Amino acid sequence: MTRLVPAAVLLLGLPFALSDFWLFIAIEVLAFALYAVSFNVLLGYGGMLSFGHAAFFGVGGYAAAILLKRAGLPPMLAFALVPVVALVVSALVALLIGFFSVQRSGIYFAMLTFAFQMLLYTIALKATGITGGDDGMTGLKPPGVLGRPFYYYYYALAIVVPALYVLYRLVSSPFGFTLRALRANPRRVQYIGVNVRAHQLAAFVVSGAFAGLAGGLFALSTGNVFPGWLNWTASATPIVMAVLGGVHTFLGPAVGAAVYVVLEVLISGKTEYWPLAMGVIIVVLVLLMPEGLSGFRRKPA
Amino acid sequence: MIDLVVQQFAWVQSPVVVARQLLAGVSNGMLLFLISAGLSLIFGVLRIINFAHGALFMFGAFIAVSMMTEGTGAFAAALIGAAAGLAVLGALLEAGLLRRIYHAQHEYQLLLTFALVFILGDVAKLIWGREDHSVSVPSLLTGSARALGLTFPTYRLFLIGVGIVVAIALWWVLHRTRWGVFVRAATMDRGMLSALGVNTRWLFTAVFALGAALAGLGGALAAPIVAVGPGLHVQVIIDAFVVVVIGGMGSVLGALVASLLVGIVNAFGILAIPGAAVVLTFALMAVVLIVRPHGLFGTPE
Repeated sequence: MTRLVPAAVLLLGLPFALSDFWLFIAIEVLAFALYAVSFNVLLGYGGMLSFGHAAFFGVGGYAAAILLKRAGLPPMLAFALVPVVALVVSALVALLIGFFSVQRSGIYFAMLTFAFQMLLYTIALKATGITGGDDGMTGLKPPGVLGRPFYYYYYALAIVVPALYVLYRLVSSPFGFTLRALRANPRRVQYIGVNVRAHQLAAFVVSGAFAGLAGGLFALSTGNVFPGWLNWTASATPIVMAVLGGVHTFLGPAVGAAVYVVLEVLISGKTEYWPLAMGVIIVVLVLLMPEGLSGFRRKPA
Repeated sequence: MIDLVVQQFAWVQSPVVVARQLLAGVSNGMLLFLISAGLSLIFGVLRIINFAHGALFMFGAFIAVSMMTEGTGAFAAALIGAAAGLAVLGALLEAGLLRRIYHAQHEYQLLLTFALVFILGDVAKLIWGREDHSVSVPSLLTGSARALGLTFPTYRLFLIGVGIVVAIALWWVLHRTRWGVFVRAATMDRGMLSALGVNTRWLFTAVFALGAALAGLGGALAAPIVAVGPGLHVQVIIDAFVVVVIGGMGSVLGALVASLLVGIVNAFGILAIPGAAVVLTFALMAVVLIVRPHGLFGTPE
């Protein structure tokens, strides 16, 4: 409780301290924090490395864009429905992809999620009539005052904080502990009589759904979605964020997301070679800090 | 509706079109084989998915462009230069970086080769700029050959020839030399090989250098028929990845068969569903992963 009050004051007070530009970045941090934490429910808790998680972030973004641009609903109604639709659509996609992917484990699981992501990427690229193809979809705008970063920030906060709380309750529940047991020893958990695949699929759907919610939130902040959101190079982002912050803590990936986003803004403002800088950061991280920023080494490698 | 489908497949009745697409498919498949054979070999021995393999291919293409435009202009020298240059780069990467993470978890290995993608991609931009380069087909290999009343571009036939020579050479090295026995043993049980007194450290370096050299050769061979630019590697690695998954990770024969399969499926897919042929290869990959996760010629975990 003593730590919650300062955190709440900080989060609620940010819009009064930051310029519109940095507030826009703060919104990005919120969306990516949710994305990274939802991804880490799979990696850190379930021990499942999804290499296609950008699929859900992208599907959420496209769901929001299509709802706003193509559904023909009144803008206010369409906007109000965005979180629900982004959640539900990505949950359904995650159910489909997860059903096949959890049949395999380890590196094969990673490759299956990767293959399905590339399928969705190709669809986003080629289904020009719905997705706008290569040009993506632009000009998405929340209605009224929510179009201003000051108000959209509070809107994003009102979605991300409860979503994180739901995920936190989930990983602290018996379901969450079963997931951790699965990471440690899937065979033993199976012998106890737990349905391993069902638990993994449930975790996959929840993780995908919240990644989609983050995608929808981010799409309305930047005002556009592009097929690149679903490309394989985008699937490294949540992994980097989670590993950067530390996969063994609940909020570690959120910290990783904040550091990553701010670094990207600072470095890409100075040089066009942000990927090079990020590459070097990852190499240093992997070789020197395997437990991330918020963790410390618990066991020798 | 039926008419439309029939129309889409009208080309089936034209032997000229079928032969032309088949040749294009097989020659593209041979290029794919050069990249994916190395990727597969590296996975088999080092147990690492080298996402940077496409970047190595791109470096081969860039080196060939430089040698042909600024050097002597000899194509043969460019091929050898690209392969040798990449062998050196590969050995340095393995000994300097990859060697440190063989015992790390999947996500760290994935992140490290991923970081290399970003680093090598930007380094290529620093050296060769952002624009596309092109070199012409060497004069000896321009023109076309006539057979069975059809004309085939000579360079395509040359690519197929090189592919066959490399395939035979690889088979010979892996099955008829002592070093090849070590490599095949390493794909089965590295620990045992090491216990028997084989220096696996150098074996790993050599395998990575060989894989990189094959990618470099492939890049140099592709230089006259593709636009050589900084985005080249993003698509190439995906195709190679699909091939390796379909053929079976670690199997060179699988890489050959799957390369030809993917090359041919792509060539005819372009006729059947223009613009969305890529969907076919990802669907093929997903089906193989679900039905036979270790690939057509791979061995189960």
